Amino acid sequence: MRAENINPFIESVYDLFTTMLNAKAERKNVGIAKTANPRDIMALIGISGRVRGMVALAFPVSTALAMVNKLLNSDIKIMDDTVSDAIAEMVNIVAGGAKARMNTGNEKPLDLSLPTVVRGGDFSVDYPTNSVWLEINFDSDLGPFTLRVTFEPEK
Amino acid sequence: MRALVVDDSAVMRKVLIGALGRANINEVDQAADGVEAVQAVQQNNYDIILMDWNMPNMLGIDALKAIREMGKTMPIIMVTTEAEKSRVLEALKAGATNYVIKPFEPNTIVGKIQEVLNKSKG
Repeated sequence: MRAENINPFIESVYDLFTTMLNAKAERKNVGIAKTANPRDIMALIGISGRVRGMVALAFPVSTALAMVNKLLNSDIKIMDDTVSDAIAEMVNIVAGGAKARMNTGNEKPLDLSLPTVVRGGDFSVDYPTNSVWLEINFDSDLGPFTLRVTFEPEK
Repeated sequence: MRALVVDDSAVMRKVLIGALGRANINEVDQAADGVEAVQAVQQNNYDIILMDWNMPNMLGIDALKAIREMGKTMPIIMVTTEAEKSRVLEALKAGATNYVIKPFEPNTIVGKIQEVLNKSKG
């Protein structure tokens, strides 16, 4: 995966925070992840079309709750379906914004799958051998979280 | 005034219902996909519809086309992550009244709702 492919996703995360969450997110270190060791909740969404890939957002419970409560002006204290739904929508928004930024001309827009949410800390997600996942850690007003992005190796 | 909010995310429906409330529209029905949306429009009269694009069972763009083919002329605002120009044009050609890209600031969606309702009254 090319490094420049990651920038649209980072910009999209910033957009999500400033517009819908009225909060700031700051990118920290970028690395390569062979496997994802998810935090307590993880939302994944597929991208297909002229390139194919996957985007994931992983949050500790505290960050997920803070984001949902900010979005809904609520006081949810435990992980429930509302939190999962909100996290799914957030990865949808991040992937949607990124794919639009990746569309530089008159190309057919990339398509998004429906998001999937995985909850619980005692599982791992393994990726196909050829996949290289870029992992970007963020800190934010609402707590830390991780963005992971992979695209199928270009032939 | 009665509105229909169509989005597969219950959280996003809550956000949009809040925006409609700020625009003084408090009678709101919900649909979780395009099929439910078309059924709701067949059974009820709405003054405005907020419609997502990517949903299971039937996409919002297809629901939009189906509703317009039914001869319904109420304002329909697409509220979606689909931000490419070609998508916006496709929706407008299919009869969307306006288009809001997620993520949006709360004031943006309230403003769009008021704008299309004012135009539809005029």
